[in-house]
Amino acid sequence: MLDHLSLMVLDAFLVAVFFSFLWKRERRERWLYFWKVFGALVVGAIVLAWVMYPFPRG
Amino acid sequence: MSDGAKPVGLALPLPVLMGLAWLVPGLGHALLGRRLRAAVFFVVITLGFIVGLLLDGELMLPQSGDALSFLAMIGSDPLRSLALIASVGNGLLFFVAHAIGTGQGVVTAPGYEFGNTFLLTAGMMNLLLVLDTHDIATGRKDW
Repeated sequence: MLDHLSLMVLDAFLVAVFFSFLWKRERRERWLYFWKVFGALVVGAIVLAWVMYPFPRG
Repeated sequence: MSDGAKPVGLALPLPVLMGLAWLVPGLGHALLGRRLRAAVFFVVITLGFIVGLLLDGELMLPQSGDALSFLAMIGSDPLRSLALIASVGNGLLFFVAHAIGTGQGVVTAPGYEFGNTFLLTAGMMNLLLVLDTHDIATGRKDW
């Protein structure tokens, strides 16, 4: 079974592909938008995880 | 494959077109001649849905025997009602999965939450495709 990070990356990949084809028309635009969305989702999730790290569980 | 700006392809009534777009991911775009995007959307949404099922995610359902329980759920549990809308947003995939007995969700499974995320994301993306199909068919989006 995939670990959580891999699943998060896979989800980010699917979402980024989807929105780049939904909202952008040209190939170059799509590539740029894909990397922006993909990067924002993956990096954002990792940053958020670290921000939450000091907080106690439960 | 064609994916450029084209006039509306198949002449179907708008509600029928939107219904078909909801039933099968990408079908609305395919009927409008946007074949590349239709193929990409179909693969992305179906893959997300299958991964969600494999991770023991849950397809939300109204309580059995009471289809109108959804209406009661809106007031009492708005988040769950949103999840139900997203689940049904998967169209035919939702009904097929339900018919073959998958998508019940295993709360104790390690992938349960991630499975839900994949299933709900796929459903919401499919609902966005219905709106996009509407925009293309009515000329608000010319590509």
